[in-house]
Amino acid sequence: MKALAVLMVLIGATLGSSAQAHIASNGFLVAEVSGEDIKGSIELAVRDVELAIGVDRNHDGNITWRELRASAPQLRQYVAERLHLAAQGRACSVSFQALQVNDRVDGSYSWLPWTAHCSGPIRQLSVSYALMQDIDPSHRGLLTLKAGSVVQTAVLGGAAGRLNFDVAKASRWRTFTEYLQAGIWHIWGGIDHLLFLLSLLLPAVLLRQHGHWRALPSARPAFLSILKVVTAFTLAHSITLSLAAFDVVRLPSRLTESVIAASIIIAALNNVFPLVTEARARIAFGFGLLHGFGFASVLADMGLPNGARLLSLVAFNLGIECGQLAVVLLVMPLIYSVRRATLYQRAVLPLGSAAIALLATVWLMQRALGP
Amino acid sequence: MSRPLRERSQWAAWLSLITLSLLPCEAALSAPYVPVNDAQVLAQLPAGSVHTSSAALERARTRADVALPLAQFYISRARASGDLRYLGYAEGMLAPWLSGPSVRSAALVLDATVLQSRHAFSAALTQLDRALALQPDNAQAWLTRATILRVLGRYPEAMRSCERLGPEVDPAVTQLCEQSLRALSGELDEAYAVLISLPQQTLSREVRAWRYSELGEMAERGGDDTAAEHWLREGLALAPDDFYMRTAYADLLLRQHRAADTLQLLSGCESMEPLLLRMLIARQMLGDRDAADAQAKLEDAFAIEEQRGEAVHRREQARFLLDIEHRPAAALTAAQENWRAQREPDDLLILLRAARAAARPDAAAPVMQFLTQEHLQDRRLEPYLASAQL
Repeated sequence: MKALAVLMVLIGATLGSSAQAHIASNGFLVAEVSGEDIKGSIELAVRDVELAIGVDRNHDGNITWRELRASAPQLRQYVAERLHLAAQGRACSVSFQALQVNDRVDGSYSWLPWTAHCSGPIRQLSVSYALMQDIDPSHRGLLTLKAGSVVQTAVLGGAAGRLNFDVAKASRWRTFTEYLQAGIWHIWGGIDHLLFLLSLLLPAVLLRQHGHWRALPSARPAFLSILKVVTAFTLAHSITLSLAAFDVVRLPSRLTESVIAASIIIAALNNVFPLVTEARARIAFGFGLLHGFGFASVLADMGLPNGARLLSLVAFNLGIECGQLAVVLLVMPLIYSVRRATLYQRAVLPLGSAAIALLATVWLMQRALGP
Repeated sequence: MSRPLRERSQWAAWLSLITLSLLPCEAALSAPYVPVNDAQVLAQLPAGSVHTSSAALERARTRADVALPLAQFYISRARASGDLRYLGYAEGMLAPWLSGPSVRSAALVLDATVLQSRHAFSAALTQLDRALALQPDNAQAWLTRATILRVLGRYPEAMRSCERLGPEVDPAVTQLCEQSLRALSGELDEAYAVLISLPQQTLSREVRAWRYSELGEMAERGGDDTAAEHWLREGLALAPDDFYMRTAYADLLLRQHRAADTLQLLSGCESMEPLLLRMLIARQMLGDRDAADAQAKLEDAFAIEEQRGEAVHRREQARFLLDIEHRPAAALTAAQENWRAQREPDDLLILLRAARAAARPDAAAPVMQFLTQEHLQDRRLEPYLASAQL
């Protein structure tokens, strides 16, 4: 009794609450979900790897890179037996890549990259983690789970050996804002759509009579004229964007891009040599259909996330409309206020349109004939 | 000729500085690589952390005469090295002996020690109560209970636990248990005198080291830094890997602005975060601004602990935020959280310091109440009391 008391005295007394020197044992698990696949890595301290599978082959108390590398097959097997991923309750198959080393606060870690393939788009991911638990019950797996722009973290192990993650749900709002932004930026960054719209808007505050431009007398007809053009363009590109996004219709992008350039030339030249003066809304609709395919190709580059295809399509389209509305709100009062000026009617409209047409011609050549 | 070259290299330096500052911290800290040299040593295995087959582990775990001494060995390794991993290994050994028909009071006491080290004080007290229900004269259980209650600032209850140490226990151990509590409850000088006159010839090495550690603390609280240094040096000569005493000695040196001495004392201890923190403070005192690496290491360690949902190092974190990052408001929050968990003199000190730095004298009120209530004396607190508010 006395011996025990004396032996433990120090533990009782000086382990009191004084700071412990090292952090406890952690495994770092990173997983990045995209569609049916997961890309990730698992990191275990080299010390922990020794405890788990035995790496120190020459028993000298030092673990070298040679020894760790030689144990890679056992490590892969160990991880495969104790780390399980499942999507919607069905196991995903995991394969491992070449082992590397990562230096952290408390020493070197073995860094093992892996990929997993699941049978179907991942909505519900379950992660079960049993590494080290039998040797060190306080070991925890610190998980960083990425899906799109959403990052979740969790602690695995102990009572929480298996955790489920709602991959699709957690990211819906973020997906929405992400695609909304992409839509806005596409309008602002993609100058061709803006120039097309501008070509249709510039004459919308004017009336063509006897071969001359005249200012519309009041705000109401000017507003209605602009509204018609914008609505027609919106309606048209929304239709083709949706059709293309859901793979109902698909056009080669070189064709789409070339025809968009051509549409700008036509719309701009129509301001220099007016042919269609009353039915600009129809031009907007007709060419709007083509611009929709152009938007779709951007969306195709981004990819529609599984489980949120419609949501992201709607968000992207809304973003385009927002961006477009901003342009209209900016341009409308400006051109309305200067519509009576001779300078506007005789110079800004025809010369500006000619410049737009010229620029679009360069695009057309590049897009149609380029590599 | 040399001038444009220098300008260009200056530009390059600026450019790389800007680029580096744009890199996310995570990327800077952890980038996996393939070692070039096959013989590169990735880890040096400390005692008792060599692979054992799971069958052998299972056999050890199911035999009380193997599992419990092994658990005790791991706990003592944790104490010596400050390495939390050992506590996990101990837990693994203890698991079968904590409930059901095979429950052992000795296992419960060891488990309480593990929980105490993780600062899970109420869970630790529960295990001790269970152990004492099984075996009311378990001296180790009473001693550990006294220690935990002392950390929690519940001195009268702690004293009652010391009084339960029976005649079979070394009287010096009982004395240390009781006098260290008297020293915290208004009788610092008297308790100090008793411990100084404690006959030493019969004491074991461990108990002698424990005595030096208590004497060092008492002298420091009594304002005799010279004596404190003497006791801590004696103690460290006897138990060089006593992590606790080394930390206390480093704090004493830092309080006296003896940065160079601190660095000398702690050289080679970089892998222990609380000691690394003290080295960083010392380097800062010396005007060394090139400590970003160590600082990032500590930040990373605190972040990992936070992610695990543990707060073992809350007091250290408060100190880090206050002395290294100079973020008094954040330091105060950490010190307040720490105060909710434990009440050692060092916990009082960090809360007072953070409250003053954050210009929040109201935040020091709990400390003032505690001091009045327990009659605790600590000269280290005095500079901060004038600005604190009751």
